[in-house]
Amino acid sequence: MKTLVLGLGNPILSDDGAGIRIAQEVGKQLNDPQITVSETSAAGLSLLDSIVGYDKVIIIDAIQTKKGQAGQIYRMKSEDFSFAKHFSSPHQTNLVTALELGKMLHLVMPQKITIFAVEAKDIASFSEKCTPEVERAIPEAVKMVIEELVG
Amino acid sequence: MKKIMIDPVTRLEGHGKIAIFLNNDGGVANVYFQVPELRGFEKFSEGRPAEDMPQITQRICGVCPEAHHMASTKALDDLFHVEPTSTARKLRELFYSSFYVTDHTTHFYILAAPDFVMGPDAPPAERNILGVIAKVGLELGGAVIKTRHENHWVIQTIGGRPIHPCFGLPGGVSKAINEEERVKIGEIAKQSVEFGKLSLKVFDDVVLKNKDYLDMVLSDTFTHRTYSMGMVDENNKVNFYDGKVRVVDPEGKEFIKYAPQDYVKHLAEHVEPWTYLKFPYLKKIGWKGFVDGKDSGVYRATPLSRLNAADGMATPLAQEEYEKMYSTLGGKPAHYTLATHWARLVELLYAAERMVELVQDPEITSTDIRNIPTATPDEGVGIVEAPRGTLTHHYITDERGIIKKCNLIVGTTNNYAAFYMSVKKAAEDLIKPGKEITEGLLNRIEMAWRPYDLCLACATHSLPGQLPLEVTIYDAQGNELKKLSQGI
Repeated sequence: MKTLVLGLGNPILSDDGAGIRIAQEVGKQLNDPQITVSETSAAGLSLLDSIVGYDKVIIIDAIQTKKGQAGQIYRMKSEDFSFAKHFSSPHQTNLVTALELGKMLHLVMPQKITIFAVEAKDIASFSEKCTPEVERAIPEAVKMVIEELVG
Repeated sequence: MKKIMIDPVTRLEGHGKIAIFLNNDGGVANVYFQVPELRGFEKFSEGRPAEDMPQITQRICGVCPEAHHMASTKALDDLFHVEPTSTARKLRELFYSSFYVTDHTTHFYILAAPDFVMGPDAPPAERNILGVIAKVGLELGGAVIKTRHENHWVIQTIGGRPIHPCFGLPGGVSKAINEEERVKIGEIAKQSVEFGKLSLKVFDDVVLKNKDYLDMVLSDTFTHRTYSMGMVDENNKVNFYDGKVRVVDPEGKEFIKYAPQDYVKHLAEHVEPWTYLKFPYLKKIGWKGFVDGKDSGVYRATPLSRLNAADGMATPLAQEEYEKMYSTLGGKPAHYTLATHWARLVELLYAAERMVELVQDPEITSTDIRNIPTATPDEGVGIVEAPRGTLTHHYITDERGIIKKCNLIVGTTNNYAAFYMSVKKAAEDLIKPGKEITEGLLNRIEMAWRPYDLCLACATHSLPGQLPLEVTIYDAQGNELKKLSQGI
């Protein structure tokens, strides 16, 4: 099964880079020609370009929620983000819209998309390091992603 | 595993806020606009080797990393006192033109087209790219995706990496292209020209042939008579990659034309107590408030401003469209904010035509791609036209090339004052005492700012991956009446 592990975020904006850090760690621990580990700072339609042609995709990103604790790790399916399509303005393409667009245009879309997200504390300060809370969560997130790939 | 509810109203930290306050009569009393501040870039840059800047600065913006990479590379040319080779210049411009094709395509079909194709009053669930494709046809949707995809291949082939290029070096670029790549880029360029023509036809069919829309484009609600800024070549034609920055007054007369190194002589920034934003203005005129006209230092740097600031387009088909646009708009310069969408499509066609010209240049496959710098670095400025406005990078280093000071004027920031004025004017014109504040009315206010496509804290990518913006309307007592949220 052709699989993509995609770290998403900005590596110079503190915890926003958590997804990329995790993907890089996952990449170091894997040696499977069927699995591609990649990173991007793109979103929306560019994300669509990245995932087309894979059977299975794991996206790793940072997230900020109302009551979440920094470093908390979430595992989600793309359907969990369906709210965004209805809640948001139509004028930026989010992940769900990008996926729907891909289906609409009959592109080869992944059968399974899983999202791992780490609750961020600071995504507004320029730094190549995550905050200590997020830093501590990285090994656990790496383990979860690898379990997802193996299992 | 803990099951979680993802509460969409949670991403309130760090998003743009527009607050519209009404008076006792229900008219607009005032408008405020706040955006989150990304902290510490200058400090982050200090102490780093200057040659790292094209890699670092492209991370500032999630939308146009290519523009930062290019402005930064040009700043390094200046810093190290080295001219790029002729082939390197052409490869950079070819790369940059391809980037323009993708960026303008995305903006038009994702941001602009839904308002016109679906209509400003269509429900938000339909007013999006999916609705546009459902209405206009799968064929067009396929063309949008194909154009973007193929031009991303061009960007990757020349730039060395997808999305975040790594080819810009002081004095040139890091790799040449071969004949096979040239041929393929040539095919993509020609297809992009066809796509540009198709997009202008879509605009013609959907907007220009609809009297209501054309009236809206030409209405005073969406008009501001400001100075216009844009980069021009030696013939005063639009150029995205290189040239001088030209500013014309609201009547279209040249006000200033400056080399990148002189930007500090011409621009200053105004600060308001209610926002972190700094509002750039023309120094020689001075800050006179958020007002239109020749006596106000407010300027715009948008696709329409670039066309206003130039004497024309350097390629034939884009020039034809340029003339058609100004003829329809009643002459030049044009100050209709919504016509920015039209200007963007003229630029898209120009970028594609420029790709064709460059890829046919006999020098484009030469391996003479770099002049090695030998001078001691000290200070450098690089300017390109980013899709959202004139982008300036300015670095000061020690003699080893270590950054001591860094100043950036990001494309978006040029338009902060005009953006604020556009929102305020649309709100004042559209929200009237006794008139119900509907979703469609709020969307029309949103349409006043959409042409600017501001990058507000766009450097962050946290889920759900959208630019968050919120408009709240308050009554005279400060009670919340209505809220419009985008990506929150």
